[in-house]
Amino acid sequence: MSQPVVQIANLNLKYQHKPVLQGLNWTINRNEHWLLCGESGSGKTSLAKAIAGLTHSYGNIEIGFDPKSSLPAMVYYVANWFQFKDLEGQSNFYYQQRYNKQSTETTASVKAELESFGKKHGLLYHEAEPILAALGFSGLVNATLIQLSSGEHKKLQLVKALWLKPQLLILDLPYNGLDTLSRQNLNALLEEITEAGTQLILISNETELPACINRIAKIEVGQLVEISADERSLKEIEVSGMAVPKFLTEDISASTSSEIIKMVDVNISYGEKKVLKNINWEVKPGEKWVLHGHNGSGKSTLLSLICGDHPQAYANNFYLFGNKRGSGESIWEIKERIGLISPELHWYFDPSATVWQSIASGFYDSSGLFCDPGYSKKVQTDELISYFGLNEYKDSLMNELPLGKQRLAMLARTIVKNPEILILDEPCQGLDQQQTIHFNKLVDELCKNGTTLIYVGHFEAQIPNCIEKRILLENGEVKSIETLIEYAMEHTYTN
Amino acid sequence: MSNYFNTLPLREQLNQLGVCDFMDSAEFLDGINVLKGKKLVIVGCGAQGLNQGLNLRDSGLDVSYTLRKEAIEGKRDSWKNATDNNFTVGTYEELIPSADVVINLTPDKQHTAVVNAVMPLMKKGATLLYSHGFNIVEEGMQVRKDITVIMVAPKCPGSEVRAEYVRGFGVPTLIAVHPENDPEGKGLAQAKAYCVGTGGHRAGVLRSSFVAEVKSDLMGEQTILCGLLQTGSILSFDKMIEKGIDAGYASKLVQYGVEVITEALKHGGVSGMMDRLSNPAKIKAFEISEELKNIMRPLFQKHQDDIMSGEFSSTMMADWANGDKNLLAWRAETGETAFEKTPAGDVKIAEQEYFDNYTLMVAFVRAGVELAFETMVQAGIKPESAYYESLHETPLIANTIARKKLFEMNRVISDTAEYGCYLFDQACKPLLADFMTKVDTDLVGKNFNEGKDAGVDNRTLIAVNEALRSHEVEIIGSTLRKAMTAMKSIKTA
Repeated sequence: MSQPVVQIANLNLKYQHKPVLQGLNWTINRNEHWLLCGESGSGKTSLAKAIAGLTHSYGNIEIGFDPKSSLPAMVYYVANWFQFKDLEGQSNFYYQQRYNKQSTETTASVKAELESFGKKHGLLYHEAEPILAALGFSGLVNATLIQLSSGEHKKLQLVKALWLKPQLLILDLPYNGLDTLSRQNLNALLEEITEAGTQLILISNETELPACINRIAKIEVGQLVEISADERSLKEIEVSGMAVPKFLTEDISASTSSEIIKMVDVNISYGEKKVLKNINWEVKPGEKWVLHGHNGSGKSTLLSLICGDHPQAYANNFYLFGNKRGSGESIWEIKERIGLISPELHWYFDPSATVWQSIASGFYDSSGLFCDPGYSKKVQTDELISYFGLNEYKDSLMNELPLGKQRLAMLARTIVKNPEILILDEPCQGLDQQQTIHFNKLVDELCKNGTTLIYVGHFEAQIPNCIEKRILLENGEVKSIETLIEYAMEHTYTN
Repeated sequence: MSNYFNTLPLREQLNQLGVCDFMDSAEFLDGINVLKGKKLVIVGCGAQGLNQGLNLRDSGLDVSYTLRKEAIEGKRDSWKNATDNNFTVGTYEELIPSADVVINLTPDKQHTAVVNAVMPLMKKGATLLYSHGFNIVEEGMQVRKDITVIMVAPKCPGSEVRAEYVRGFGVPTLIAVHPENDPEGKGLAQAKAYCVGTGGHRAGVLRSSFVAEVKSDLMGEQTILCGLLQTGSILSFDKMIEKGIDAGYASKLVQYGVEVITEALKHGGVSGMMDRLSNPAKIKAFEISEELKNIMRPLFQKHQDDIMSGEFSSTMMADWANGDKNLLAWRAETGETAFEKTPAGDVKIAEQEYFDNYTLMVAFVRAGVELAFETMVQAGIKPESAYYESLHETPLIANTIARKKLFEMNRVISDTAEYGCYLFDQACKPLLADFMTKVDTDLVGKNFNEGKDAGVDNRTLIAVNEALRSHEVEIIGSTLRKAMTAMKSIKTA
């Protein structure tokens, strides 16, 4: 038997002065493909970064590359977060910037980005093309980086990794934001590259995994613990004993207008490209919707119209709360009634705000807190922080927390004002299974008060029970609108 | 047309220079109401025009754009910016007659032509809004007496104006009403409402006058903001090359150093920036910046005097009339400097290294900020106005150098600022020739602390800290920065 691919001995690592890995040992032998799962904040990302040499750690990490392999002798880490820069090397992008059109392009195209990546690693462009096709990305090569949605950025990261085929590939939450088909195709591509010799460490809490995964582990008290597939799936979900804060149970079904949202033949296009085509959709107060559709089907654009984030709202026959958009309302009056979470809102959120400030900023729909919220809002913020179990982090800066904790804070921010409408665009990205189930139960609880809900989730297992209607988008068009009473009753999903 | 400021008696000159009131947020409680339902027509759709318009529309106001016929027919960038974002675009003839507020966001040089073209089309009692007072103050533009003339000037690039608005904040803004054109007394209310529309009211608003804005803005951009950053960058680079420092390293240190250093300035003022140095380096930087202040003081005063007398603007306008001969020659000369032509090396420079290895720039920035501030205040400009036009804007300009060196800075700033910058640079370099002969690589290129023990004399350090912290720019700065603490950092390096 050849030497191990990765041999880790007595690894110690601190994150923000707190010990995360404590004397961790791990041996990865050739042809082992590991799944690393478990609670958010347990140290999965830190361990991955240590193996890739991206963070400082104490202890011994040896990587045994195969000298006979034709694959690049490198560890390539695909982060759970994405970064890009403009042509001047800056990354000062802001929320909703991709919807504002400015004639001069400031970021590179996807194609240019891929070409420069290929040049750096000596890769042939035509070998990327089947990967682009499999992930449904071929149509986007001429788009600029700023125009991509978060799911599309995730795909771009994956395309690079799959094209590179390093000897050791670490994927951190690769399924975030990917639709069902893309997830299946990703798994197929992972099968291919592992057969060709790449070894895989996959960090994920999902259940549909590539068949090559043959070992499973989690991190417990800073140590690696191997578990079986059965142990993983049989995990009992404890229900939080803590009651939902009282201010979140107040009835809010007082909206006077008969439709909260009304779209009449709504069209959105960027130049020649039509993103939404003749959308007709009405949402009445208190309805609970799920919005389905592939990556690129137009979901984010549709939601950006509702949240006052899209300039083309002004050119459409589109009503919010009974008023036509552009009839003198400000976007802040609209946002005041909406609790929004989306991958983009999280990505562009002020990283230098504390957890407490971030949650309280939900009262003002701002990214960061710019005023004193006053006594009662402070109390509500505190109650919610306790409810979400974030007490020990409340003075930490957002960018010091692991992704899952950041996401919990963002979710608390979304509901802190007990809004009339909840727009939850993949709210549970980065959460572990238990947190996801908890959050969806909370959503069910909130929705008893007359809240209107629009929910986007690519994982069917992650949809709250209260959903009763579904709108399906396909290539920018409404493919179907249906009532799903059975779905709500039986918790089963029939397409 | 003659210089407006020079037509005023001294009493009125001082009166207008002294308009300076940092407004309380309670002054903005009426929101956008004064402008609600009114037709706002923006002339020009560049970065400021587009981003202010996007904000105003999102605040519930009725915004459209008017462009010259050629720009519309040629489908130029300004036309695309406006139409791609679903704004109505029309010619002056189509849109100006129904406009309640006409917003002039074209470059300085076009102001006279634009205002002469739109004024006859404006309806009785309409408002003309500027974001810079050059046309009114220096060129003496006479606006029809029934028209209200106001100024709203966000103190940030257009993209920041938008970015801060969508995150629920804003950028610091300066507003003013022209005393010769406020026939109905509605100017201030409209300026405030416009400010709310762009989000500026959340980040601190300074009430100023056209006169104070122009005289301080010109002074700031010519001296510390552009002039001294250019001179300091070129001299620093040349010194490192002379002393055998690697050219790629020198280029990178200068290109990004000024941004990293002034980022500290933005957060903690001059003392915050100086505190990033070791104690011995701080004392050294203090001493050489004192020397720099003494050397450059007459030049700063000359610039302020020429701005006050109108000498500067008449010289520049003569150059406009001469086909920008001087401007173009100086621009070409800047493009040919060794710093501009040497690409930044592929070396990693840690954030702290920019301070330790570039103590000279820290000294330049401290000297420039304090001198510009002192000179403006001595000339009758109020400390708040002087702060905005010196310390506040320095990091914004430094960011443009980090992006693409001096060429980028001079491309982004107005032609007026660029002209003034070269004027300063031409005079400042010879002035500093002697001083620079004494500068060695411990101040620029290598770590100042290398081979030194870190000890300092207690009393010297206390005196230096005291001098830095008690300067008026620090005292006013700490108040004003509180109002804009939430400004996000701009980062390149």
